[in-house]
Amino acid sequence: MAASPRRITLRSYQVGFGDCFLLGFHYKRSSRFVLIDFGSTGRPRGAKATHMVSVAKDIAQTCGGKLHAVVATHRHKDHISGFARQPDGSGSGEVIAALNPDVVIQPWTEHPDAKPSARQAPRGISAAGRSFVGMLEDMHTVAAAVAAEASSMPATSRLARQLAFMGDTNLPNPAAVENLMTMGKERRYVHFGSSSGLRIPGVKVRVLGPPTLEQSETIASQRQRDESEFWHLMALAEGAHGLGSGRLFPRRYELTSPPGQRNRWLMDRVTKLRPRQLREIVRILDKALNNTSVILLFEAGDHRLLFPGDAQIENWTYALSKPAVRELLTEVTVYKVGHHGSMNATPKTLWNGFTRRSPDKNDPGRLETFISTLAGKHGSTQRDTEVPRRTLVKELSRMSNYHTTETVRPSVLFLETSFDLTVG
Amino acid sequence: MDTAVRLRTRTLTVIAQDPGVTDPTAPRGRRILRAGVEIPAEILDPGPGGYRVQVVDFDVSRNTSYKPCLIDPVDDPYARSTDRQLLRDPHFHCQNAYALVMRTLARFEFALGRRVSWGYHNHHLNVLPHAFADANAFYSPDDQALLFGYFPSRHGDHTVFTCLSHDVVVHETTHALLDGLRTRYTDPSSPDQGAFHEGFADVVALLSVFSLPSIVGRVIDLAEGAGGQEPQIRREAVTLEALRRSGLLGLAEELGDELSAVRGNPLRRSVDELWPPSPRPYREDSEFLEPHRRGEILVAAMMNAFLQTWTHRLHDLGEIRVGHLSRERVVEEGAQIADTLLTLAIRALDYTPPIHLEFGDYLSAMLTSDVAVRPDDSRYDLRTRLLKSFRAYGIEPSSSSGAGDEGMWEPAPTELSYSRTHFEPMRSEPDEVFRFIWENRGALEISEQVFSRVLSVRPSVRVGPDGFILKEVVAEHVQTLNLRAGELARYGIKRPADMPRDLEIRLHGGGTLIFDEYGRLRYHIHNDVLHPKRQSKRIQYLWENGFYRKDSAALREFSNLHRQRAAGLTLVPTQEEW
Repeated sequence: MAASPRRITLRSYQVGFGDCFLLGFHYKRSSRFVLIDFGSTGRPRGAKATHMVSVAKDIAQTCGGKLHAVVATHRHKDHISGFARQPDGSGSGEVIAALNPDVVIQPWTEHPDAKPSARQAPRGISAAGRSFVGMLEDMHTVAAAVAAEASSMPATSRLARQLAFMGDTNLPNPAAVENLMTMGKERRYVHFGSSSGLRIPGVKVRVLGPPTLEQSETIASQRQRDESEFWHLMALAEGAHGLGSGRLFPRRYELTSPPGQRNRWLMDRVTKLRPRQLREIVRILDKALNNTSVILLFEAGDHRLLFPGDAQIENWTYALSKPAVRELLTEVTVYKVGHHGSMNATPKTLWNGFTRRSPDKNDPGRLETFISTLAGKHGSTQRDTEVPRRTLVKELSRMSNYHTTETVRPSVLFLETSFDLTVG
Repeated sequence: MDTAVRLRTRTLTVIAQDPGVTDPTAPRGRRILRAGVEIPAEILDPGPGGYRVQVVDFDVSRNTSYKPCLIDPVDDPYARSTDRQLLRDPHFHCQNAYALVMRTLARFEFALGRRVSWGYHNHHLNVLPHAFADANAFYSPDDQALLFGYFPSRHGDHTVFTCLSHDVVVHETTHALLDGLRTRYTDPSSPDQGAFHEGFADVVALLSVFSLPSIVGRVIDLAEGAGGQEPQIRREAVTLEALRRSGLLGLAEELGDELSAVRGNPLRRSVDELWPPSPRPYREDSEFLEPHRRGEILVAAMMNAFLQTWTHRLHDLGEIRVGHLSRERVVEEGAQIADTLLTLAIRALDYTPPIHLEFGDYLSAMLTSDVAVRPDDSRYDLRTRLLKSFRAYGIEPSSSSGAGDEGMWEPAPTELSYSRTHFEPMRSEPDEVFRFIWENRGALEISEQVFSRVLSVRPSVRVGPDGFILKEVVAEHVQTLNLRAGELARYGIKRPADMPRDLEIRLHGGGTLIFDEYGRLRYHIHNDVLHPKRQSKRIQYLWENGFYRKDSAALREFSNLHRQRAAGLTLVPTQEEW
């Protein structure tokens, strides 16, 4: 195999609201492929139920039956649901597993030995880290309860739809998680500064996130204790009572006649308050899981390709606090837009540092940006929280060659861009 | 006349802190520490429903209403109940919440010398003791309600009811009362104002708990070690350090155990984490810019002043035998100091500016208001200790007036015109107070370029130091100026570098006028709407922390505030967002 790739291809698959990127490094006589995420929470409009299997088969065909690596940036459904196996063996997860990746990369928070119940903590993961992982497990329990509670609300309610969507995104995805834990030859659980485990000739890969708790200065130990305690009790609360199972007090205390007129106004108000409360809960946990995202920077020839998953500002803070990393990021040539273009996953410090940004459409060295998203699924235009965020999209369109999966018809499956590398 | 009609007050049983705080020396089956609290007597409807508080026992998670509780007009129905009865009877839960809300309301009315309204236009506060299955409890002004959740204990062997926690109920009631007294304290302002609602509610809750002799007794027993309830205690067990380490901290662990999921554990934080005060200025530390974390500084300053006062009093207490103090006297001192400090803390609200409060303003308000009704502080030396304790946490009084005691507000200007206004209507009519302000706008330093409005006029009656009635009138006025960010420079106010020039900005300022019994203005406590330094700092903070975003209102909802606090969330710098 040649020492350096001559060409890089990036395939952005149309998976609706989710991420699925196939990165190909092409040498004179061979290629190596890295699949970064494969999930969806909302199929593209007009796509068939078997759409994800079609995507998996296309990946298999493109890579010639062999993946060098699979990267599952974090546990959200819109990033890993495609890795799920089906009981009858017909899932997209079986197709990907058959590609026998050399390495499967996930964040340190997914390390099976990092769970609080594990007998031995893996090297580099402290008691606080294990407690954090326990907290993530509790969050999944809460998400499941919220999704179930949302399903009992009137489907016409916008809030109920939002809740169902966010709750669903944060569900544990055991079928996908188990497949990721067993597929391929080697599993790597990475954090800022750790080795990625990727072996791509002529390509240097750096892990820029997530930081460990010890690295992240934004997480104080007391706050961490409170947070874990909070989610543990929330999980208990939702698990035991979230669906109103059983009686709180003996039946003799229950009122069987309708409540008085005076109380109906209040009861009506409080009933409407509950979904808003649940939305706040899932927003908090959604954010926490996003911030476990793996951030990878690929350096090949004069190209730097940045894949941050759904990392939000809190995850980015540690990497951006390092002058050397900030300097490294200034030369990014390809940027996968974080978190489907949400308001707080492309920190302005990061964006403003990209020297390849240019308003000149004819600039040959202009920054290339890629986004996989579906408008109308997440956030609200009235509250300026819509995904993708209008102001960000405007800036991306103005200052980069902007590629979005929203323009790809489901039958086409993907858009592909190719970058030639200067061979030294 | 019927006994029920004649009574001015009545006593009802409440759980002294929460069911986790027990008395190991009590008979089996009756170990939960309880207290009889005195509250205003009234003829109650089923609920109970009174003239200010209506308990509505509706559980939204189960879509179930429970039968309303009927309370005997005279008897205390749960005075002799077992622990099991208290925990399993929803009617006791209703009574517990009702009694604690009423006690807190009465405490505020006593301190302020007048009736106190809720923060909305209605006389009733609705209380839902079993509102939902959730580790949360909060005040919802839109629903005119306090909502208390319930959740399973850590080991799943029992249910934790937040309505049975003394400090959670008082904390939420304090939010409702403070919202009525200072409606603009929920506005986006400085980090201090954002923190004040939480910090003050914690202070009132903790002092309310410590004003109960049974709780003070428990603290002493924890400090003394096993056993307790002896008529005498060792002097070494009640030193400042001993109380902090073994007594208060022990209680903090007990009462913070599972309820910390609701809003953290303020006592543990103030007693343990923030002690001794660090030489680094907390308020400049980015961690303490978050409202829920910053509120803990206020709690720490107040609770440490309480502890220092108490232990100092014990130092002077006579020994009943060598090295031993009377337990009864130690308990009595602790409860009395907590009660005095609680009154002082609430009374100070009248002496705070109506908007843009900073901790230093509150310190000056405490020092000034306390002198008016309690000039002789030689018994406790509370004002000196408060000043010292706040300073230890980097909080200086806002007033550097040389007049009177250190840190007190400066007296109002003497060159004021009273000739075109009448004092009697000034006791209740906003228009008459506005006339006074207009006549004296120059002396009161109120700009004519801004919109001004009198928010409230409240007469207050207190017992003065000489035993005579002390009458005051407290009026709040606010100023508003709407402008574009690009126009800030015209007033010497700095625009954050990346703030768009066309962004609409609304500036607020205002003042509190304290009139004495002769209708003369004693104090004008104000934050000027066009103060360049304070407004520049405020706008920078609000801009950096997302308060000019469309969705920022959600940040300030009490329900979310508690959740953010319990979940340890941080503010995200807005300049990084799109």
